[in-house]
Amino acid sequence: MESNKKYWKGIEELNRTPEFVEKNKHEFAEPIPIEEILSGDGLKSKTPRRDFLKALGFGVGAVSLAACQKVPVHKSIPYLIKPEEITPGLANFYVSSYEGSAILVKTREGRPIKIEGNPNDFFGKGGTSAGVQASVLDLYDSSRLKNPLQDGSESGWSQIDSFVKGQLAGIKAGGKKIRIVSSSINSPSTLAVIADFITQYPTAKHINYDAVSYTGIIQANQNSFGKAVLPHYNFDKADIIVSFDADFLGSWISHTEFSRQYMANRAAKALEEKKMSRHIQFESGMSITGSNADVRMPLKPSEEGLAIISLYNALSATTLPGSKKVSDANTDKAITLVAKELLSAKGRALVVSGSNDVATQVLINAINSLLGSYGTTIDLDNPSLQYAGNDAEFVEFANEVKRGEVDAVFFLNANPVYDFYAAKDFTTALAKVKLKVSFAPYNDETAALCNVVAPNSHYLESWGDENAVAGYYTIVQPTINPVYDTRQAEQSLLKWSDNPVKEYYTYIRNNWDKNLLPIAGLSGQSGWETLLQTGFVKAPAKAAGVYTFNRDLNAVAQTILTHSTQVAASGSQLELQIFESPNIGDGKKANNPWLQELPDPVSKVTWDNFAAMSITTAKKIGVEQGDYITITANGYSVDLPVLLQPGQAQGTISVAVGYGRTKAGKVGDKVGQNAYPFHTFRNGTFQTAVAADIKKTGALKYIFAQTQTHHSYEGRSVIHEGTLAQYVKSPASIVGKGEGKENYDLWDEYERPAYNWVMAIDLNACTGCGSCVVACTAENNVPVVGRDEVRNRREMHWIRIDRYYSFNDNGKNVTKEDEIDKLQDLDHVSVTYQPMLCQHCDHAPCETVCPVLATTHSSEGLNQMTYNRCVGTRYCANNCPYKVRRFNWFNYWNDSRFENYVQNEYTELVLNPDVTTRFRGVMEKCSMCVQRIQSGKLKAKLEKRSLKDGEIKMACQQSCPTNAIVFGNLNDPTSEVAKALKSERTYYVLEELNVKPGIGYQAKVRNTTELGA
Amino acid sequence: MRNISLIFKQFSRAVLLVAGFAAMGYTAQAQGDATKGEALFKANCTACHKIDVRMTGPALGPTITSETDDKWLTKWIQNNQALIAAKDPKALKIYNEYNQAGMNVFTNLSDGDVANIIAYVREDWKKMQAAPAPGAATGAAAEDSGPSNMVIFGLIGVIVIAFIVILVLNKVIGTLEKLLIKKENLPVEEEEEEEAVKVDRLATVKKIAKNKKLVFFIILCGSLAMGSWAWVTMWNTNVHQGYQPEQPIKYSHELHAGVMKINCQYCHGGAYKSKNASIPSLNVCMNCHKVVKTESPEIHKIYDALGYDPATQKYDSTKAKPIQWVRIHNLPDFAYFNHSQHTKVGGIECQRCHGPIQTMKQVYQYSPLTMKWCIQCHKRTNVNGKGNAYYENLISIHDRIKKGDKITEAEMGGTECGKCHY
Repeated sequence: MESNKKYWKGIEELNRTPEFVEKNKHEFAEPIPIEEILSGDGLKSKTPRRDFLKALGFGVGAVSLAACQKVPVHKSIPYLIKPEEITPGLANFYVSSYEGSAILVKTREGRPIKIEGNPNDFFGKGGTSAGVQASVLDLYDSSRLKNPLQDGSESGWSQIDSFVKGQLAGIKAGGKKIRIVSSSINSPSTLAVIADFITQYPTAKHINYDAVSYTGIIQANQNSFGKAVLPHYNFDKADIIVSFDADFLGSWISHTEFSRQYMANRAAKALEEKKMSRHIQFESGMSITGSNADVRMPLKPSEEGLAIISLYNALSATTLPGSKKVSDANTDKAITLVAKELLSAKGRALVVSGSNDVATQVLINAINSLLGSYGTTIDLDNPSLQYAGNDAEFVEFANEVKRGEVDAVFFLNANPVYDFYAAKDFTTALAKVKLKVSFAPYNDETAALCNVVAPNSHYLESWGDENAVAGYYTIVQPTINPVYDTRQAEQSLLKWSDNPVKEYYTYIRNNWDKNLLPIAGLSGQSGWETLLQTGFVKAPAKAAGVYTFNRDLNAVAQTILTHSTQVAASGSQLELQIFESPNIGDGKKANNPWLQELPDPVSKVTWDNFAAMSITTAKKIGVEQGDYITITANGYSVDLPVLLQPGQAQGTISVAVGYGRTKAGKVGDKVGQNAYPFHTFRNGTFQTAVAADIKKTGALKYIFAQTQTHHSYEGRSVIHEGTLAQYVKSPASIVGKGEGKENYDLWDEYERPAYNWVMAIDLNACTGCGSCVVACTAENNVPVVGRDEVRNRREMHWIRIDRYYSFNDNGKNVTKEDEIDKLQDLDHVSVTYQPMLCQHCDHAPCETVCPVLATTHSSEGLNQMTYNRCVGTRYCANNCPYKVRRFNWFNYWNDSRFENYVQNEYTELVLNPDVTTRFRGVMEKCSMCVQRIQSGKLKAKLEKRSLKDGEIKMACQQSCPTNAIVFGNLNDPTSEVAKALKSERTYYVLEELNVKPGIGYQAKVRNTTELGA
Repeated sequence: MRNISLIFKQFSRAVLLVAGFAAMGYTAQAQGDATKGEALFKANCTACHKIDVRMTGPALGPTITSETDDKWLTKWIQNNQALIAAKDPKALKIYNEYNQAGMNVFTNLSDGDVANIIAYVREDWKKMQAAPAPGAATGAAAEDSGPSNMVIFGLIGVIVIAFIVILVLNKVIGTLEKLLIKKENLPVEEEEEEEAVKVDRLATVKKIAKNKKLVFFIILCGSLAMGSWAWVTMWNTNVHQGYQPEQPIKYSHELHAGVMKINCQYCHGGAYKSKNASIPSLNVCMNCHKVVKTESPEIHKIYDALGYDPATQKYDSTKAKPIQWVRIHNLPDFAYFNHSQHTKVGGIECQRCHGPIQTMKQVYQYSPLTMKWCIQCHKRTNVNGKGNAYYENLISIHDRIKKGDKITEAEMGGTECGKCHY
């Protein structure tokens, strides 16, 4: 059965706009002016011959001159005294921890160059997020402060120490308030240092402040069960998941862990047992979570409360006072059906909400209590410690500052001048504080207003520990000496509080020896050394208790309803939803070019934020894609370009925070607009929705650096998917495997005597998060090209994640002709992600057309690209049906135009020395991490043993939190990849071309039933 | 042209063959059997002697070659103590010269054995003297470094022959023309000849210039010469065979690896573990040079670099500054090379690529390090798979290895682009 379901990457492709059709004709953004030359004046004019000769003469002359330079003398500088553990040319791995996850840091000759997940990590089990992968680049960021600053000018540590201590002594004597403002800290040792500091200065207080806050949940748990904790969720134990605007696969709390859990119940393993969890998402903007859901219903922020109340009513068979139906009949119907499903899966259900509103979260708690989620899918006894921010406390602090009660403030990993909603007031008030110290590694928005900036070291240069979930303690150990003259904040605090322990390292050792090592039954030096090898200690989890909700909900419902009316748009207003983007997060990572260049999972926009809007709404207010609109709310307004987003709830706009930094550094400055001032502070928490006035500006259309339609398949079908019911009935029917056609080969069969390296990618497991893209960038020295070059369709990523939209209509196939004008349906689109990389075809079309044999086939099934042989004809890119070849338009590694990104003397240190950096004018593409294959084989040879399956891992595979990618030797029938490819869901993209790709995809399965509206 | 060069090659081969036989014949005339002698020499003598350098004992090459009294030599070698005891003047002289350190007694060696050893030493010493100076590379590798000399000489020969042929033809044509003119009784243009007599010198040039064939021929020769020069030059661009830069410390591999016989791994341990052979860090030098040759100015360079004070035996890291060696073997960045793959897995000796490193006072680049050179070796070298479970268990070659077949590196994919370029 051949599916005739229509997949499209963007509105322009769906509508086949003339610009799109025209653009698609060309492989590269600007056409080669061949026709101009061959027609009209080109041939008649007399100059070409002379020009040719001139060019030839100049070329020969220039080349000879260039060749005349003396061969440079290379110096070889060995260690004076070589550290015993280092062998030049071999990588060392060290355990460490980032954002609470245990990781492995790969170092070469003492330089950290890559982060891998620790396979035993509680959260990722070896998988990592894009942010973790990119964190190593920050170490070499040339925008980081290279010295401490005092009053904006460079200073030394001793001056700073004496200045701060002098000031603190005075403040202590005066008895005025001292405040330490930090983003959530879960490090036991850091917290102890702060506690010691407070003992020394009793007027001091520590305030946790998270720009993107989870106070709502913490407070709701306090109100409901008397436990002010962020619960630990178990998505793997849930057979049915209902989420209201919680982007738990993209940015919500512990998204990497959640991705892994979520897919454990949905991907290959679960499907083999013919079961799959069900996921229904109600949300306003299209998030990565919504795009993965089985059913996704667009829902305005103002109706989210109504919907949750309706769900509660349906579950409890009561009616809370003031309940109303949501305006959309489909959504209302969906809620009733969802309730039915939830009730039938008691104890195996989970309802979450992304709201930071206490009342909403209390109601969610009530729902989960009804469903028996506590003790199964929600664990309050082993809570998550990832976020502890208290919004009210911070607002109170801002008021204290305003009232002039605070004399000293320390900012640790907090940047309220940028990300506090009332930053303007706060900035003016801050002038009243006598001593302002920032530990920011950059001279960021807040640091710029401080007397003293004592730059904190990067985590790869620091000792530390983390405790991201109860009972799980990870160690942070330095893998390099500080690159710049920075010092750990804890060290500074120890010094300033005259702590008897002088060194933070000693402090940590003491703390671990006394409190943490005994958890794992370790002690002393040997225990410490064991810890530095394993990376963490884990106490056995407490039994998750069952909690029952028994509070009155009438007041809660009232608060929710009032909140809804406040958010509801009136007149020409639209509802504005502020969200955290999965790539940039809350804005602290804004100066990381790898993350900026990573396309947003859904919109595929790089280097920008935007106002996402549904097509209907855009038509209503008369704007098109790229038009600027002025968004005004809370007395703040920004101009943002409009992005037409299928699936966006009508009458809403979504804007990501984390952009619009002004002092992030060379990379992050002036990227997008700041959306934090749209936050409001209501009912004790920051709220992310607001009614906003929208005005179209007359500004010229903005062109997004959006990668979604850069690589066209000319409308060929590349996606196969099906429903769970269909899969259970006949697994093979999903990929439509029918009668075999006879193929005629133009090429001889290659022999692959020893290995046949292939890959299997499970589309059902891929969430589209983009971790693999950044991992590949780090592993293979992929350059960053910047916004303008992305606009020119010149992004260099070797692996991309294609995102396809399709209409869903009760599982029926919808062809474009019937549906094109029913714009209503653009609200209900299905999304499929497909990681696309070189397919290593056995009959590779690129190899046939290369005039210089720069791309050839190996006897191990790899399509090899030899850079030094390539002359840059680009025929191969033209002939590649998958569009995975990338051309180096510039010498990215040595061109001043690109040195703002990663190509400078500091960031060069992150390069993988085993992979060549490519020069201008050559083609490149996925090499199937051939350097890893080669070194894996060599290791086996040196150890005189056979290669083990799974021993060699691709960078993309290793970073994937959901194990969507499997790599291995197909010649070995027992290998994981051979088994994965035997799945009935396996298909090969563009199989009909008979290019025999080496990468098999497992078709996506959706657990849709009649609910799909 | 190709044919000619081929002919020349064949010719040169023949000559080489004849020369080889001649050499063999010559060695055959020597008294003992040098090959047997070599084995005996290695087993018994190398602990104290080398052929070309003085070690514990004298350098045997010159000593034995200059000593013509083979009977005395045999006696000395078999039992030198007896000679010394007998107060043989020659024996005493040597005995005293070497601080009366007695040489071992080899009564187990028969007269024939000793004769073999002597034959070997003499022959080897002759070979060593005949060997060209380092830098003018020898062996198969050198032959592959571009068009061989034979080809060039062949070309020149062909040009000379062609020149002569053309001259002869010219003469013949001139004579024929004259004959024609005479036959037809046309008047010979005497006026011109008279003029030519007046300005004698220029006329010759003019006359030559007028001879288009000659001019063409000279231009042809010129361009051929230039062309072949350019060809050879370009082939050897960036080939730095023989590169021997001055190093900051006059470190001698001849002394350390040759005379002292320190294993390569002692300093270049990375060569067996990693892709980099790595230059040893100075703490490796200090293992010995804390006590050995502490007075040498070269050793003091090490002390200075480390900030080490030999008087107090203390290190001062503030004074430390690394030594900047000049890198000799430079592979381009786009070529991946791994030492351990070749040394540990392949079992290749260092000398295979680095040349007679144990004889180099100052290291030079022995091999051309061109891709052609790599590929050729990969095509000719058999995989060292014996006893390595990795190879023996590879399904594709399992049976062949069992049978004892030779499998070259190239057959294992060793010439595919992606093996070195990524």
